[in-house]
Amino acid sequence: MAAVKRENEEEVKTDDGSPKIKPRPIVRLGIFLIAHSPIFSVVFSAAGVLALLLLPLLAKNTYISENALMPGSARSMLSNQDVSDGSKLVKDIKNFRLNHEGQGVEVQKLIGTYMSEMGAEVSYQKFHPEGNQFHPLHFFSGPDSYTLLENVSCASYGVNVAGIIRAPRGDGKESIVLVTPYDFINGGDYESLSLGIVSSLFSLLSRVTWLSKDIIWLVADSRYGDYRPVAAWLTEYHSPSFKVSDLLKCNELNTADNFRRAGTVAAALVLKVDGRSDRFEDTLSIYAEASNGQMPNLDLINVVNYLAVHRQGFYVKVEKVVSLLSSSWLKFFGEIFEAVGKLGHTLNPDWNFGIPAADYLEGSATLASSLYSQALGIPTGPHGAFRDYQVDAITLKVSPRFPPDSKTRQHEFFLRGARLLEGTIRSVNNLLEKFHQSFFLYLLTSPSKFISVGVYMIAFALLVAPLPMVAASLYIDGCKALTNSTHNPAENFKSWKWLDAAKQVFALHLLGFIVTLLPYFICQLPGQHSPRNRSIMWGTTSSSLLLITFVTIPGCSPFSSRLHRNNWAVLKSVTIAAAFIGLCLMSIINFATAEIGALLLVPTCLMAQPIKPALRSRSIKSLLGALCSLVLVTIGFPVMFFAISKGLLGEGLVGLSLGGEFWTWLESLWAWKSATYLYIGMIHLPCWLLCLCILFHPS
Amino acid sequence: MKILLILGMLLCYSFVSSSGDTTIHTNNWAVLVCTSRFWFNYRHMANTLSLYRTVKRLGIPDERIILMLADDMACNARNEYPAQVFNNENHKLNLYGDNVEVDYRGYEVTVENFLRVLTGRHENAVPRSKRLLSDEGSHILLYMTGHGGDEFLKFQDAEELQSHDLADAVKQMKEKRRFKELMIMVDTCQAATLFNQLQSPGVLAIGSSLKGENSYSHHLDSDIGVSVVDRFTYYTLAFFERLNIYDNASLNSLFRSYDPRLLMSTAYYRTDLYQPHLVEVPVTNFFGSVMETIHTDSAYKAFSSKISNSKSNPEMPLNQVSEHDANIPNDELKTEKQKCPYSQMRADLHKKLEKLENVDTVVNLSIAVMVVVVMVSSSLLR
Repeated sequence: MAAVKRENEEEVKTDDGSPKIKPRPIVRLGIFLIAHSPIFSVVFSAAGVLALLLLPLLAKNTYISENALMPGSARSMLSNQDVSDGSKLVKDIKNFRLNHEGQGVEVQKLIGTYMSEMGAEVSYQKFHPEGNQFHPLHFFSGPDSYTLLENVSCASYGVNVAGIIRAPRGDGKESIVLVTPYDFINGGDYESLSLGIVSSLFSLLSRVTWLSKDIIWLVADSRYGDYRPVAAWLTEYHSPSFKVSDLLKCNELNTADNFRRAGTVAAALVLKVDGRSDRFEDTLSIYAEASNGQMPNLDLINVVNYLAVHRQGFYVKVEKVVSLLSSSWLKFFGEIFEAVGKLGHTLNPDWNFGIPAADYLEGSATLASSLYSQALGIPTGPHGAFRDYQVDAITLKVSPRFPPDSKTRQHEFFLRGARLLEGTIRSVNNLLEKFHQSFFLYLLTSPSKFISVGVYMIAFALLVAPLPMVAASLYIDGCKALTNSTHNPAENFKSWKWLDAAKQVFALHLLGFIVTLLPYFICQLPGQHSPRNRSIMWGTTSSSLLLITFVTIPGCSPFSSRLHRNNWAVLKSVTIAAAFIGLCLMSIINFATAEIGALLLVPTCLMAQPIKPALRSRSIKSLLGALCSLVLVTIGFPVMFFAISKGLLGEGLVGLSLGGEFWTWLESLWAWKSATYLYIGMIHLPCWLLCLCILFHPS
Repeated sequence: MKILLILGMLLCYSFVSSSGDTTIHTNNWAVLVCTSRFWFNYRHMANTLSLYRTVKRLGIPDERIILMLADDMACNARNEYPAQVFNNENHKLNLYGDNVEVDYRGYEVTVENFLRVLTGRHENAVPRSKRLLSDEGSHILLYMTGHGGDEFLKFQDAEELQSHDLADAVKQMKEKRRFKELMIMVDTCQAATLFNQLQSPGVLAIGSSLKGENSYSHHLDSDIGVSVVDRFTYYTLAFFERLNIYDNASLNSLFRSYDPRLLMSTAYYRTDLYQPHLVEVPVTNFFGSVMETIHTDSAYKAFSSKISNSKSNPEMPLNQVSEHDANIPNDELKTEKQKCPYSQMRADLHKKLEKLENVDTVVNLSIAVMVVVVMVSSSLLR
């Protein structure tokens, strides 16, 4: 914008004699926005926050977009015989575990026998529990091939069981995966119920004639977590290793040349049964977020939700931030929106945008949870492993309303659970192509309401819109100030004035990059270190690196800038531009991270200004501004924000930053290859440091 | 001698049948098209197969039915009843029994092939069984079902047949004398729009819904898990199930049997291009293969009486719907006659024949002359 403006000015000057050329409307609009940037930045930022608060109101009801799915159009064929098969398996496992102690694979074999009795092809797979290790070069690469370590020990390994039912008349090119994580050593009574449900279903599927896709039932050995066994199985499924693993020799169970495959995985359902429902109905929780905020196709959630609510009578819910439900300020907003909605309805009966305040609270709490899970970039369940292979998958967590030993209730529970899965599988079975009709980019505000990308992007766009305006306006101001202060004609090349500031911004971004990579090297250090020690190590190295940067690169330090005393405006302009680019890039990778990041970074960057002149002038307005920017910069520090979001303040804070909780959190981020980690290190941290520089600028 | 006699009769017959609208109804054809693929469109295939069964039951032989099915539901892996197709959830009637001859299947069902079938422009290699070998005395039933919209019908999820294409093909058929009467029955959404561009005379069109209306499926089979029949076709079939080959139900009674409340759409029929009274036309004219049988004392008298019958046809009062367009088809026919010199000559001959007051004597005389000629020639040869 600024460049365009300058060109226009020059044109007007040179063409003095001729009639003045009027700039095009878009240019004039740009100039107008830049000239009034303070007002507009306040308006746009406020509108951005307001739009975010309005999102629960703008949520649409979900609908089945793919014609082929036809959920619930077929009658369930599950019989009581199938269910008693499932109950028998559960009982057998329970008895077996009572009588036998130890680490063997007998339970797996028992399940395998059941599967093959039903006519399935059974295979066992051994895997190693360790898999996720941070490697900077593998950050955005696909799923690891988990190269087999040479010296694996037989001390710890897991064994998955997978059974495949071939579609009798299918072409064998596609499959649907059912996963039941089960801890063969310590699995509780509730956990084994999931085996019962899927076993009932499997018994049915082995005799139906309508399958067009093969069905795989994977009993994942979850003694080392839910995610790892599923990931290991998927790796073996998609990229077989031809090296003979040492694990094969570990016990009597021979798994060599045993692994069975079906076709491309069309969809996957992970079923877990945990704890007792606190409601009157059985509760079904849907988890969908995979790594980096990727979501499965909305149609999959729709199908499950439709069948669970309208056919099987489950109470369906998605995660929500419970603390928000009781927050008074959100309730206040909800009441205002409700009142406005009612007013709108009286003005025009066709306007039905208002929703009750209670619904608004629920919606916001769910939305916040949805945003948070996506922003974190850590999968919320084993379904995340499927997303790495572009397979749509969700985790269904069912909580029955009865204690695990109630036999009569158990039968009914199996029936309903298996019918839900049967309906879903029959629906997915009808698919002709992979899921593509419905949305992939959305936020949920309830199991049956969603906000699509076109709506939630508005909030983000409004929030970051002030950045380029303010950057341009600051740049023009800064250039004017510089031109006035220096009389050296050599320095009057306007276009080069940003170079010094850019150098500083670049240096700090480089520093951010190095700091981002540091944990990898710290992890490589010999010897065992506690997270606390590691975080201290990281902190000290980073600060010393920062000091070195300030000392070695001239003009970088906020304290030694004697050349250009007025250049903080230009510095701020370049900082804002860098933040804008970073946020926009991040919004493409992971919208939720960018949105939360923008909420922090945009006000910080916009408010940042040197404190010294404010202290000198002693006017209340400038003092307030300085205080604001100080507070914002304090909150903007990643450790600080982490502490606030965790609700730890005061004494807890010191212990936290040193105690390594933050470190552990970051470790989990990079272990899951979350882009949020990169965002914090390479965009947020440098921009925050730059704001700090501006704050203590000696002007 | 006998052979000569028959030859002579044929000669006379060809003179008679030469002129356009005076031809008698000689045979029946049916082109039944299901245009949509995919498992969830099961009902379209069931619709078409039901119609196939009905017209076969009412007398159109397999060799005169062109059956086009865009997908194979019977052998779809998702079909709970392998190799069977049902149009009702009671599963009493398997539409895909032993004697189903599908002429165009799967990806062969394209707009191009459909238009080729109608217009008869085939490549040399196409077997006769896949051709519509109708003639100017044919009554053709064209039934189409699938997903339609405003002036188009979707084929195979990839291409569309537009109302212009259909009208153009029908016009070509008319000019190539491939039909005497054509009935187009369409069961799609906004089916009526597909007939907008039709201009050729002798075409009767009926669609399941008006512009802006959807055509709905009738019921869902919860064993198979899909809808098995569309409403319009269901009630059409319900009408025909009551009939047998000897019934005399008129087209009008078929058209009146559609109840918009049951259909959930408004059946639309276009009769302005079709001259006979719907009340007088039996449905078997299109949906069956029942020829008009005329009992006469003399074989030769039959032709003359037929001529006078068909001649009087155009002067009959036209039905109410086709008031303004009534004269257009006749005009078109006249221009058509002037175009083709061969038919012109034949028509002239025919006219002269008509002018003769005592046709029987002329015929008898001519036979006598032929007998004399034959006797003379055979004696000469000897």
